[in-house]
Amino acid sequence: MSAPAILARGLTRRFGTFTAVDALDITVASGTIHAFLGANGSGKSTTIRMLIGLLRPTAGSIVVDGIDVIRHPRRVRDRIGYMGQRVSLYQGLTLRENVEFYAGLYGIAGDELAHRWGALRERFDLGEAEAERPEDLSGGIRQRAGLALATLHRPRLLFLDEPTAGVDLHSRALFWELIQEEAAAGVTVFVTTHFLEEADYCDWVSFIDNGRLIADAPPEELRRRFSPGYRIELALPPSARAAARAALGGAERAVAETADGVCVVSPRLDGALLAAVARLAAAEPGARVRVEQPAMPEIFRRVLAEARA
Amino acid sequence: MSWRRLRTLVVREMRATLRDPFTLTILIAVPLVALLAFGFVLSTEVKGLRLVVLDGSETPASRRLLADLAAHGTFVPRRVATRAALERALVDGTASAGLVIPADFARTLARPEDPRPQVQLLYDGAEAVLAGNAEVYLQALVEASGATLVRGGPPASAGVRVMPRALFNPRLDGKPFMVAGTFGFVLSFLTILITAVSIVNERLAGTFEQLQVTPATSVEILLGKLLPLGAMFTLDVVLMMLTAGIVLGVWPRGSALLLVAVSAYYVSISLAAGLLISGTSATANEAVQKTVLVSIPLVQLSGFIFPVRSMPAAVQWATTLFPATHYIALARGIYLRAEGVATLWPELAALLAFGVVLIGFALRAMGRRP
Amino acid sequence: MSRFWRNVLAVGYREARVMLHDQAFLIALLVQPAIMLGLYGGVISTQPANVPWGIVDRSQTALSRRLVEDVQASGYFLRPRRVAGYSEAHALLRRGTLLAVLVIPGDFRRAAERGRPRVQLLLDGSDPLAAARVGSYVAQVAANVDVRRELRASRPPRPPARAGAIDARQRFWFNPTLRDRDFFLATIAGMLLTNISLSLTGASLVGEREMGTYEFLLSLPTSALEIVLGKLLPAVAVAYVLLLAALLGSGLCYGFWPAGSWLALFVVTLPFMLASLSVGVLVSTFARTSAQAIFLSTFFILPSFVLSGVGLPYQLMPHGVRELGGLFPLRWYQIASRRIIERGAGGAEVVVPTLMLVLFFAAMLVVVRWRMKPRLG
Repeated sequence: MSAPAILARGLTRRFGTFTAVDALDITVASGTIHAFLGANGSGKSTTIRMLIGLLRPTAGSIVVDGIDVIRHPRRVRDRIGYMGQRVSLYQGLTLRENVEFYAGLYGIAGDELAHRWGALRERFDLGEAEAERPEDLSGGIRQRAGLALATLHRPRLLFLDEPTAGVDLHSRALFWELIQEEAAAGVTVFVTTHFLEEADYCDWVSFIDNGRLIADAPPEELRRRFSPGYRIELALPPSARAAARAALGGAERAVAETADGVCVVSPRLDGALLAAVARLAAAEPGARVRVEQPAMPEIFRRVLAEARA
Repeated sequence: MSWRRLRTLVVREMRATLRDPFTLTILIAVPLVALLAFGFVLSTEVKGLRLVVLDGSETPASRRLLADLAAHGTFVPRRVATRAALERALVDGTASAGLVIPADFARTLARPEDPRPQVQLLYDGAEAVLAGNAEVYLQALVEASGATLVRGGPPASAGVRVMPRALFNPRLDGKPFMVAGTFGFVLSFLTILITAVSIVNERLAGTFEQLQVTPATSVEILLGKLLPLGAMFTLDVVLMMLTAGIVLGVWPRGSALLLVAVSAYYVSISLAAGLLISGTSATANEAVQKTVLVSIPLVQLSGFIFPVRSMPAAVQWATTLFPATHYIALARGIYLRAEGVATLWPELAALLAFGVVLIGFALRAMGRRP
Repeated sequence: MSRFWRNVLAVGYREARVMLHDQAFLIALLVQPAIMLGLYGGVISTQPANVPWGIVDRSQTALSRRLVEDVQASGYFLRPRRVAGYSEAHALLRRGTLLAVLVIPGDFRRAAERGRPRVQLLLDGSDPLAAARVGSYVAQVAANVDVRRELRASRPPRPPARAGAIDARQRFWFNPTLRDRDFFLATIAGMLLTNISLSLTGASLVGEREMGTYEFLLSLPTSALEIVLGKLLPAVAVAYVLLLAALLGSGLCYGFWPAGSWLALFVVTLPFMLASLSVGVLVSTFARTSAQAIFLSTFFILPSFVLSGVGLPYQLMPHGVRELGGLFPLRWYQIASRRIIERGAGGAEVVVPTLMLVLFFAAMLVVVRWRMKPRLG
């Protein structure tokens, strides 16, 4: 098992008497997408800034890609890409000139730059935006450009701080496609967001509230622990309902009658249940099936409720 | 430090600045406005001062005196009828000086034993600076007039006549003095102000943070901002020199190159000061307040307009600690007296010493992490 | 109370609270008057003092020594330095070591006996104000030396008799010792108010726009005029606080109290403050960021200070420049405040400056209204 890409222990940051981040332990495996969720003001940005060496922690240790970030913050810079809350494209420069600027800082120029940027331009669909200035571009394009810039120097880790804030739904989905492509190529991605449903795109979720970690697990496990589970609704004529209830009932499942038919709530979507539902649906002509996945916001609401209790 | 990275940063800053018409206008126009404003303002020549006259005598002799006073254009006499009118004119400031000629003026002049009539000169002391200048002129003109009024040769007793000769500036023109001083003002106040505000703004906009995640060091990042600013201000020095020459007719008597070199060094001192101020300011407004609080007294005490010699001894000593004082002395030496390194080395040394200290502080502040 | 004034007061109240939370501003409010009082009341002066001078005395007679003593007695000069000749004098003047060198010719006494005593005064012209003052003082002192009596008597009587055909008695009204101090102290309030007025409105209005509260303000059912006036209210209050501080400071620290009507002073401060603030509002309509507002303000503040006559008398400025200075509110305010504070004037004497300030404010309102129109639709 390879060493984790990010390892933070007891990470704490105080501003005067206010504790923004309180003894966090974060472990991020290489090549995974790690979501760092929390409400505004919960300490997300502070944490990410400490992880990349922009802010010095009051206590704790941070090792990124094998480098002690607190002692040698500058050494990680070549290996990480960062996209801050304010996408830092310089106004007054075209996108292309911004690319040349950042490339210059990483030592990429000439043919290599042309090659890399050409590829990124294709992949992120920024061809038309290249000659434009940031102030003339839409939010979605600016975010994509920001991500492209962050990956220009082929970093092994990506730190994205609320990359989809203020972006429309369609662009957000596109964005996550790109992130998942990066992870598939072996890049470790650490993402903060306050869109709770985006957790489903990730391999691991940490949930922070008032500076403390209140959940730290893969999304499915959180689902399992904190939600009633998946909800399947079967629209059936009254005559078939009793039989359906009997067929669908079982351990860990709750079955009930609804106005239209039957609904069953189960923590898992296992094969047996799905098969039973399929049989019932096939048997009754005009039967309709609807499967509802527990929504992340609801799950987190429960996580929060439990933590604060 | 990587020169390649620094060059990348500087190129970006220059590109952005050159494309920002507003900033360019400010950087160029404000120093020139300051130059023109200050350049015209200092005059040692008194002209057209309003003088109210109460002529109690109304004789050819008194009228002759008035004619002499009006002759050079130094004073614009206006007759009043009563003492009250004269006093009122002084109170509401419509006249800067008053002359009261007694009724027995002509008779006293004609007296053989002691032909010295008394006249009263009243000055609006509320305008002290003006009165100080007017006093001498009025006195001198009255004396000169008196010498011609007495019949029968030179007066009973005469004083010593002084032939003044002003070196480097025979007509005592105020312009070169002010032009050289304005360099000091612009490079002290405006440079610090613009630097401090620009850096605070960048910090607030978050663009510094993005750079801090790249391999660029804090020193490179800040130098990338300061070097273009420094270049612009040095260019301003050249522009001011040309403007002073073309519009005001004031060219440096000494080496223009030396002035530009010294000015470039002084600019770097001011950039350091601006950086230090920006480091302690959370908002642009705060940076402005601090700059104003620090710069303005410094400039006032640096000998820019007000003579350092006339200040209390402790303050005089303190002014030797201000880089601005030495820079203005250097600028004046080069502009007015064609001095060179040979005679200016004490000021140069002082400027060098203070500059090194301040720039040292700034470099240390640059390298610090939050 | 009408709707209009209620809205104005509401905006004003909010402004005041924001202001009171701005620590840097409050500190500046305290420190600036203190600095100005110290600078202008105690430190700065245009009167010559500690003037280093030298003498080339080729005559070495009682008369020449008399002349030197009389010059020295004025108190403006340091002890004179003995200079050998012209070349040394030039070198010392060029270096700035000496400001003036008095050259007394070898035949001075003989020339005096013939009735034509002359001396030469070499001056460092690079500081023309100082040179002019020093030159004129020396000339005056020299002119008053009663040469005949000096030549006759072996021991000259004290005090020395005055020479000249006309005896001109001089008096300085309102400032008998002709101290610069009163000249400057009288205008401290004007300088403080000019400084503060721009940072109050220019930066604050633009700051609002940056933060986005400006649009919110506009969406409220208040008119532009109500907003502007509401923002001006607390600023005017601050102005009066500063004015009081300046007056009390001058009085308590230096014993310099206004000679004229306090009421007139307070009355004329209102249009001046409104005029200065309205310039700040105008700047804010041009500036997109608070940094820009600050830089634009310097275009106004700089000429205000330089051309208005607070430092150097405007009467001495060349004609076009003098009139140009009249466009700035500070010129009229300093005229009014000098009249009141130094010369003891009352309301009647400051009607003209007050009117000019009101006119300026009205003109500014028109321009501001015109600028703000497209934004409000």
